[in-house]
Amino acid sequence: MAAQTVSLERLEAWLSRFTELVTENRSYLTELDSAIGDADHGSNMARGMAAVLEKTAAAPSSAVNELFKLVGMTLVTSVGGASGPLYGTFFLRFGTTAGAVTELDSAELAAALRAGLGGVFARGKAELGDKTMFDAMSPAIDAFDAEIAAGADVTASAAGAAAAAAAGRDATEPLVARKGRASYLGDRSAGHLDPGATSTAFLFQALAEALA
Amino acid sequence: MIGVVVVSHSSALAHAAVELALQMVQGERPAIAIAAGAGEGLIGTDAMAVSAAIDEVASPDGVLVIMDLGSAVMSAEMALDFRSSDTEVRLSSGPFVEGLLAAIVTAAGGASLDDVDREARAALAPKISMLDLPAPAVAPVSVSADAPAGVSADLTIINSDGLHARPAAAVVSSLAGFEAKLTVVNTRTASAPVSAHSLIGLLSLGAKVGDVLTVTASGAQAAEALAKVTGLVTEGFGEL
Repeated sequence: MAAQTVSLERLEAWLSRFTELVTENRSYLTELDSAIGDADHGSNMARGMAAVLEKTAAAPSSAVNELFKLVGMTLVTSVGGASGPLYGTFFLRFGTTAGAVTELDSAELAAALRAGLGGVFARGKAELGDKTMFDAMSPAIDAFDAEIAAGADVTASAAGAAAAAAAGRDATEPLVARKGRASYLGDRSAGHLDPGATSTAFLFQALAEALA
Repeated sequence: MIGVVVVSHSSALAHAAVELALQMVQGERPAIAIAAGAGEGLIGTDAMAVSAAIDEVASPDGVLVIMDLGSAVMSAEMALDFRSSDTEVRLSSGPFVEGLLAAIVTAAGGASLDDVDREARAALAPKISMLDLPAPAVAPVSVSADAPAGVSADLTIINSDGLHARPAAAVVSSLAGFEAKLTVVNTRTASAPVSAHSLIGLLSLGAKVGDVLTVTASGAQAAEALAKVTGLVTEGFGEL
């Protein structure tokens, strides 16, 4: 049976894997963003996460809140686009809710993820169907909660969240953007995946792989 | 005097917009801080830089933040959580170029945060009026209907370009420090009275050469303030 708690080390593995995914898919994310945005999402996220890994390697954290405060603040100042404040707020709220601990049980992880989602909602003011990262993140966290409630372990729950995030990402393709730079395009934004929802699907893919 | 923070994706854009606005200000200017670009010449915004800019110009009178689009707004909102100053900060929904110009001119005249914010939000009014489109939802600094009648003068605009941005800004800044309220009506268009303390109000008069403006002043220094404005108009704002 897989672990029921998530260590600081696993959370660091989550961040490393997310960095790898956005770096490997840097051109892909930018290509998606060039269709409906300002063509910088891939480079912004790769640069932001590279800065995160640099900072966390230079100053290892001894607690979950400390780690994610550093992650959030680094993204806020190094991403440049709206993803900076959005992912930054996600990780800052995640850390604050997790607290000064060195591991999280499934309920604590669920609460931290939920708090991060709340931060994204408050910052971006997007709703489901607006064609944003929220369309991948919200179903992912609902799925995580539902798996935990059904008695699944964190590994299976994270896998469920990743699948839901991917489905949420795919569902953004036909949508007309109502938030962000893509909203200026109106109907022309339909027919493209949302870059933010795509990077968010990588975030949950990374979580699932780090907890597998 | 309030402080002004300029948030843009582009450092070049922010610096040029501030330069444009400062052409309108003679004499004292508000503290202005720019938070633009994502570092290393990259396009983008940085919430920590916005936070530092707010702290840099924080004055007891408040700070108005003028932003371009998208993440500039989000970074400015986030900066409010990070800043260490505790003065009132307002994020303006005004347009970037016109709003910045209106804000800097109005702030230089010593206006309150409320009035500067209102001017910035109403800053598209002159453009809308020039294009003969319906009036915007936000009005510039208002003229109270029950303002006591004071001294008034009919002044003819003699500048060939009319009452354009620089002369209008000169009127606003010339009134700084006077204990007086002045209103202006364009008699050619029978306009509603606008505040002479409002750059946007003055510009929306659309005053051309030959137009006669009725300027009315009230308050303890009404006569002095009216004489100041009369001097400016009759001398062609020093442009002739």
